[in-house]
Amino acid sequence: MTKTKRFRVLMYIVLTIVSLISVFPLYWMLMASTNKSVDVSRGRMLPGTNFIENWKALFAQQNVKLAMFNSFKFAVILTLCALVICSLAGYGFEIYHDKHKDFVFSILLLGMMVPFVATMIPLFRMFTAVNLQNTTLGFILPTISTPFLIMMFRQNARAFPIDIIEAARIDGLNEVQIFFRMFVPTMKSTYAAAMTITFMNAWNNYLWPKVIMQGEDSLTMPMLVANLTEGYVTDYGVLMLAVLLCSLPTVIIFFLLQKSFAEGITGAVK
Amino acid sequence: MKKKILATLLCVAMSATMLTGCGGGNNSGGDANSDANQNADEGNNAGTDETDPAPAEGETDTPSEEEGGEEGGTAEGGTAEGGNSLTVWCWDPAFNMYAMEEAAKVYQADHPDFNIDVVETPWDDIQTKLTTAATSNNYDTLPDIFLMQDNAFQKNVISYPDAFMDLTDSGIDFSQFAEAKTAYSVIDGKNYGVPFDNGAVVAAYRTDVLKEAGFTIDDFTDITWDEYIEKGKVVLEKTGKPLLSCQAGESDVIMMMMQSCGASLFNDEGKPAMVDNAELKKVMETYKALVDAGVLIEVNDWDQYVATLTNETVAGTINGCWIMASIQTAEDQSGKWGITNMPSLAGIDNATNYSNNGGSSWCITSNCKNPDLAKDFLASTFAGSVPFYETILPSSAAIATYLPAGDSDVYNEPAEFYGGDAVFAKIVEFAGKTPSNNTGVFYYEARNYIATAMQNVIGGGSIEDEIKAAQEQVEFTMQE
Amino acid sequence: MSEANGPKKRKMSLEKRHNLTGWAFLAPATIMIAIMSFWPMIQALILSFQTGKANNLEFGGLTNYIRMFKDKVFMTSLGNTFLYLIIQVPIMLVLALMLAQMLNNKDLRGKGIFRTAIFLPCATSLVSYAIIFRSLFGVDGFINSVLINLGILDKGYNFLGNAFSAKVVIIIALVWRWTGYNMVFYLAGLQNIEYSVYEAAKIDGASPMQTFFKITVPLLKPTIVMTAIMSTNGTLQLFDESVNLTKGGPGQTTLTMSHYIYDTVFKFVPTFGYASAMSFLIFIIVAILAFIQMKVGDKRD
Repeated sequence: MTKTKRFRVLMYIVLTIVSLISVFPLYWMLMASTNKSVDVSRGRMLPGTNFIENWKALFAQQNVKLAMFNSFKFAVILTLCALVICSLAGYGFEIYHDKHKDFVFSILLLGMMVPFVATMIPLFRMFTAVNLQNTTLGFILPTISTPFLIMMFRQNARAFPIDIIEAARIDGLNEVQIFFRMFVPTMKSTYAAAMTITFMNAWNNYLWPKVIMQGEDSLTMPMLVANLTEGYVTDYGVLMLAVLLCSLPTVIIFFLLQKSFAEGITGAVK
Repeated sequence: MKKKILATLLCVAMSATMLTGCGGGNNSGGDANSDANQNADEGNNAGTDETDPAPAEGETDTPSEEEGGEEGGTAEGGTAEGGNSLTVWCWDPAFNMYAMEEAAKVYQADHPDFNIDVVETPWDDIQTKLTTAATSNNYDTLPDIFLMQDNAFQKNVISYPDAFMDLTDSGIDFSQFAEAKTAYSVIDGKNYGVPFDNGAVVAAYRTDVLKEAGFTIDDFTDITWDEYIEKGKVVLEKTGKPLLSCQAGESDVIMMMMQSCGASLFNDEGKPAMVDNAELKKVMETYKALVDAGVLIEVNDWDQYVATLTNETVAGTINGCWIMASIQTAEDQSGKWGITNMPSLAGIDNATNYSNNGGSSWCITSNCKNPDLAKDFLASTFAGSVPFYETILPSSAAIATYLPAGDSDVYNEPAEFYGGDAVFAKIVEFAGKTPSNNTGVFYYEARNYIATAMQNVIGGGSIEDEIKAAQEQVEFTMQE
Repeated sequence: MSEANGPKKRKMSLEKRHNLTGWAFLAPATIMIAIMSFWPMIQALILSFQTGKANNLEFGGLTNYIRMFKDKVFMTSLGNTFLYLIIQVPIMLVLALMLAQMLNNKDLRGKGIFRTAIFLPCATSLVSYAIIFRSLFGVDGFINSVLINLGILDKGYNFLGNAFSAKVVIIIALVWRWTGYNMVFYLAGLQNIEYSVYEAAKIDGASPMQTFFKITVPLLKPTIVMTAIMSTNGTLQLFDESVNLTKGGPGQTTLTMSHYIYDTVFKFVPTFGYASAMSFLIFIIVAILAFIQMKVGDKRD
């Protein structure tokens, strides 16, 4: 008993330390966003009084609303599409696996192994040829289906009990129904994790959108942050406020979804 | 079964609400899709003709009739550029974007239909977009005008000659600009850029710290680097502050020293000329001596560099005059700074106390549908209007390389922050005395490997060997 | 016999149908990847056999592939990248696994807070994270003041100015940023393990360590393989940290391959063929490593 108790205390200590280290930059960002630029660069880490000025300056300089709206729009559409397409594929690869599909899967994996710098220009050529520049489609298509997400669903589907499928088939459900009624609810935790990660990646996407989107209408949060770091003078207070606004959505989504990571597989099936 | 279906529905609903319920995303979900389509449609038009009045031939005095006519013919899908509108990419709202918008206002006075769309685009992104578009042979995605870093001019124009418009016979009088400045954007005797901001090097000192060490700013005017090091040691000893800070791994200081005597890392044929380059050797020796003496401290990045100025870690700095904007963010140091010229390299022919770092010029792309308008616009503002430069100076401190502007009264206004000195006039004067240098196509490569060589020298390497290694690497990179 | 034959035949056709359904499930994703990744990859491959600057390209055979092995800077970056891979990936994955295991404990209070806190680093924008790390490890930064106050150092040490310590800082930064990210996959994977298995282990008197190695690791194997492949891929294509934390310096001692490739395209006079060739070397290395990882860990029991 005492041993497990001691272990638990140790666990709390470790988790607290790790959490503090992890949270520190957020704290720093928060503090910096309330200070004047010169105080930030002087290393001040306490709350300041300049938050409202920074806020006003940020909103006066940059179209934050548009950037937020665009980022949400792109990230949400991309996440929803990617989840459907990739989970279908991951399920297909695992549940109906055979030699051929395993082979196709390993080929697909190769798709993520070439640095984007090399494929960006052929991709750009392709997209401009069909006039997809400056479109939402142009923004989301390259990352709508990723080997990584397919792999995530494939690996997690391995824990999905096959007998449930057999049982459902006997119950008269067709394959598509089985996917949507059995697999999707059962793999809730996987979906939640995939959703968080995909949303985050979509939200932070920078290089491709920058190349394929022109004009001010397509401003996203990462672009907005980049705009603030360019120029001869950087206002660190304003910059950190923008960075904070740019980081928060992913954090909030994670916080809301993390509960479903923990709910487990059993609830929905039994 | 019912239970299962219910669970499924709940689950789907949950994941939907989880997504849509977050933050400002409440209008995503269904709406987002319709937005997407809308945007897709708008996308083609966006940024091109949204604000355009109909191409008005004859209404303006720009010779756009022909252009307008052609427009009608070649226009497809909304990519048509209107007769009176220009799209511009540049990157600093307080500086060059502001200047561009002011220029548009000046031009609008005579051309009421003129319109400008300034899109904030960081320089790195402009370079990425330019390379991507040019390599894909698809210039349609480029704007009419963009601002280019002077250092990148040769590289980009020589790599992608089709992307730029020759401005030699555009009616712009290039002799009105400082020669060293125009030199950046002249390729094969042709002008490709309209010079904009000034990168003339200033040496800024904390006069109060100098005083503490028994010096005035005059003791640092027209001096050599050797004197600078000697005096710097005194300042360090008496006040504990180094005279200079810079970013490790960046070659700004080296390149400023090089240009101050008109030297380059390349010869006239564009071949690397680093080995047996007396100027380069002297520069690297000087840099090493600065570091060894503790007069120069290296920091790891730009933020820390700015912090050494605002934190009063150092007693001065040497950089392009645009650094003054960063210095001035420390309002509490007003009156404590002074500006003078930089030290020169003793024992080198052509050594001067003047150099350049940074700065940028406007270029017109080949995608510009209305080149005459773009040329006329630049000619009558950035290359022709003293009042324009007078307007932008006070609020943006955008110091002209347009020489006639330097004589303006506005430039002779005393600056409180620098102890009442007329710093702007001083900078224009510095710019006029700066020797031009040959950046060359492979400028960035050379800069990069010289910076590496310098770091290795500070780490104990021999100057000759490191220069040789740098030259070999640059030659390696240059080979086809 | 005839009785047995009937169902079997039907089963066969059913299997065939399932097989087709399987293909239908994976078709959209596969087609998308083929268009969005493989087509550009083929073009890049063709490009990698061409030499020349900017748009003046001509066929050069294997020139680019031979060239990169003579390129000292590229070879340095290859070495750096491998060092990061070998040291950072195992540390990060073990740490992530242990944290996930701890946070999967049903009786733990404040799980949500801990999880979110540990996930935070990867959601933090790169800009702020780079600024913070550079200032933390600066000569007069936080780490140095702590070390000086503890009496370990006399004066500030320039962590990012020294080849060895700069590499260490990059590894620390990577672990810091991506541990929480990998933890997410493990947390999700752990939910697929019935909690009763742990309860049973507890009743049998298994220590936490035993539970970890005997239950968690084997059952999470598919996820571990996935994260290992992902991290290998991510590290070999490492770009952000090299660019933003150290700019590849001092010298080229922390430069990564992707950073160098990027420079050859967007900073230097563009040499696309050469950049593509270097990219394909990364591709080959990742593919081999991933293949080994799949062979070792991705067996269906």
